[in-house]
Amino acid sequence: MKKRILSTLVCLTVAATSIIGCGSKAPVEETGKDTAAAETTTEAKTEEKAEEKAEENATETTEASGDKVTLSIYTQYADDDTKVPYDYAVEQLKEAYPNVELNLIVQAQDDGQTLKTLAATGQLPDIYQASTDIINTFRESNQIMVLNEVAQSTGFLDKLYDANKDLAYAEDGNIYAFPFSGQEYVLWYYNKALFEENGLEIPETYDDLLNCIEVFKGKGITPLALFGQEGWNTAAAYDVIATRYAEGGIKALDEGKASITDEGYVNAAKKMEELVAAGLYQEDATTTNYDQASEKFLSGEAAMFINGQWYIEDATKALGDNVDWMFYPAADAASYEAGKAVFSGGGSASGFAVNPDSANAELAAEVAEFITEKYCEAKVMYRHNPLVAIDTGKEPDSEYPAMMKKLSDTLPSITATTKFTWGLTNSTFNDAIQSESQGLVSGQFTADEFVQDIADTME
Amino acid sequence: MKKYMGNKLAILLFVLPALAIFITFDFIPIIQVFAYSFTDWNGLTIPNFTGIKNYLDLFTDRVFATSNRNQLIFAVVITIYQMLFATVFAITISDKKMKGRKFLRVAYFIPVILSVTVVCQLWSAVLAGDGLLNKLFEAGNFDFKQNWLGDRYKAIYVIAFVNAWQWMGYQFALIVAGIKSIPSDYYEAARIDGCSNVLAHLKITIPLLAETYKFCLIISLTGGIKAFTEMNILTGGGPNKSTYTLTYMMYNAAFKKSDYGYGLAAASVMVVECMLVMLVINFIFRDRDQKKEEEKARRKRRA
Repeated sequence: MKKRILSTLVCLTVAATSIIGCGSKAPVEETGKDTAAAETTTEAKTEEKAEEKAEENATETTEASGDKVTLSIYTQYADDDTKVPYDYAVEQLKEAYPNVELNLIVQAQDDGQTLKTLAATGQLPDIYQASTDIINTFRESNQIMVLNEVAQSTGFLDKLYDANKDLAYAEDGNIYAFPFSGQEYVLWYYNKALFEENGLEIPETYDDLLNCIEVFKGKGITPLALFGQEGWNTAAAYDVIATRYAEGGIKALDEGKASITDEGYVNAAKKMEELVAAGLYQEDATTTNYDQASEKFLSGEAAMFINGQWYIEDATKALGDNVDWMFYPAADAASYEAGKAVFSGGGSASGFAVNPDSANAELAAEVAEFITEKYCEAKVMYRHNPLVAIDTGKEPDSEYPAMMKKLSDTLPSITATTKFTWGLTNSTFNDAIQSESQGLVSGQFTADEFVQDIADTME
Repeated sequence: MKKYMGNKLAILLFVLPALAIFITFDFIPIIQVFAYSFTDWNGLTIPNFTGIKNYLDLFTDRVFATSNRNQLIFAVVITIYQMLFATVFAITISDKKMKGRKFLRVAYFIPVILSVTVVCQLWSAVLAGDGLLNKLFEAGNFDFKQNWLGDRYKAIYVIAFVNAWQWMGYQFALIVAGIKSIPSDYYEAARIDGCSNVLAHLKITIPLLAETYKFCLIISLTGGIKAFTEMNILTGGGPNKSTYTLTYMMYNAAFKKSDYGYGLAAASVMVVECMLVMLVINFIFRDRDQKKEEEKARRKRRA
């Protein structure tokens, strides 16, 4: 009998210890009576409200008393282009908000997976870097704060460049994030020294480009190093051709204003297929990452490179005067000249957003705006990139690189831009253009397959 | 023992903790996966019921056929590679006369303890366009230079090889443990009867390891169906989704397109496929046991 009691007790202990920890906060006791349950619920609600009020008061008291407030921030911190602005913003924040500390959570390159998981589990950071996709998703679930008033009260809207006014607003006319990047552009970089050594002119037409490919391949030089492991780069490679045939490029496809079966887009796909077959990109372009492709270009193993204008600083540091960017080649001289006013790339409504459920949401919104301004300042001063969202009134710590000057001179004549993939609003099209353009780059999918597959996906 | 087995309360209390954990963390989530697969859901808002739309879209998606083909190739390649080499290596090192068997036993198992990411980075460097393998072919003047990871049709075989290379050691350890449990008397008797080493292993070792092989087969085939990590790191599912699997489809739909309903439909199909494979394997092995019992019964009757 004793053994039986003992074994039962052991079992109960095992069961109890297994269950401990599964619960969250102390549960409200169920009495089984409606009145008592209602009372308990009311009490619980009252307690919750009291807790919320206490939290609010605590925030105010904290601010007034000068106690430290720690805000979590989820943002990129991977290379100089992301580290320099963040470090600068943190330094400036110490002076402007001495009672605020930032707890950095480094953004993972995971298509927003981490952020969406944090949102699903109610653990969003106070401030987070949001792309168009994240803004659209969190908008539906009310997990992104409307920043219209903060943008107005802090003067952020007044500082925005006219060309970037639209970037601040989402489709529904509200501001959900403070953008720090302005209009950005896909640039077609080339190694001037390699072109000169091989007696080649900058290609203006596709026939010129085919000639360059032949010469470079003959010398064992990769004509254009692409980092096709990243879908945006292959999409940009298609877009720089598509914009020569149809001004809207992938932006018009994303917005439904054009169809992939339109003549211009079909011709662009066929031209890309032809260039791939000629050997424009390295054979393993689809499995090449950014570091590998950039290394090829900077070391002189590749003659050309496609990347955003943010690469100007790194390219200039490595290649000095031997690097420049060219206008995208076109089918003929007339199209080339006309196409000089149309660039692939563009701005997007992405930037620093705020978690509305944060205990310090209002303070977080102010800090997000402040950080955005400081990001812009750092980009201008230390990254020599004037293409930021707002007018900072700052000057670079040294002269702008020649390529940036050339771009600045070109800006007034630009009449149209498209979008980077992170600025596309139709996630189905975004997914399709990234993977299908990668297929074209691989040389194992035909232009007809490219057109057909995207058309099927968009149906 | 009999006393405890007769105590239903004790059985219940012993089973309950494990059962509760299984129901909470396995059974309910699987049911949720099936339930949400019939909805339009972005993972954050309230799902909208859409009936079988996700399944209709899934079955007409060109990537669905590619994914299933890849899973099949992946499962077959890793199963053949792992079971074949694991058996050969395990039998080889179980021979006590063999020199260096301790070293080989550790060497075969080392890839298993490495991180998948490390293994993939290593093979990525070997298989890159200007990687070690192509350089070796170039140095030897062999015309075998390939775009190993970028080929639309061949890349899946290469990815499967990387997985098989890493996890072969796991099956090797299982088979070695199985061989050790076989009494040496059987081999001595076989030797006295003039049986060669190879024949002894064919007639004794392999049949007696049936249960071990059953387990190896289940982990290989279901591992093939669930494959994701290697293709994610080595090819990113490319070129143009040609190395996708259903798990990759689920990941892509959920995290890139915020279409959890569609992603969970892909996950549901994957769960069903895994269950079918296990049922088939159980059926095949159960059938053999039954046949043996039937044969034994026949012999007894004749005797």
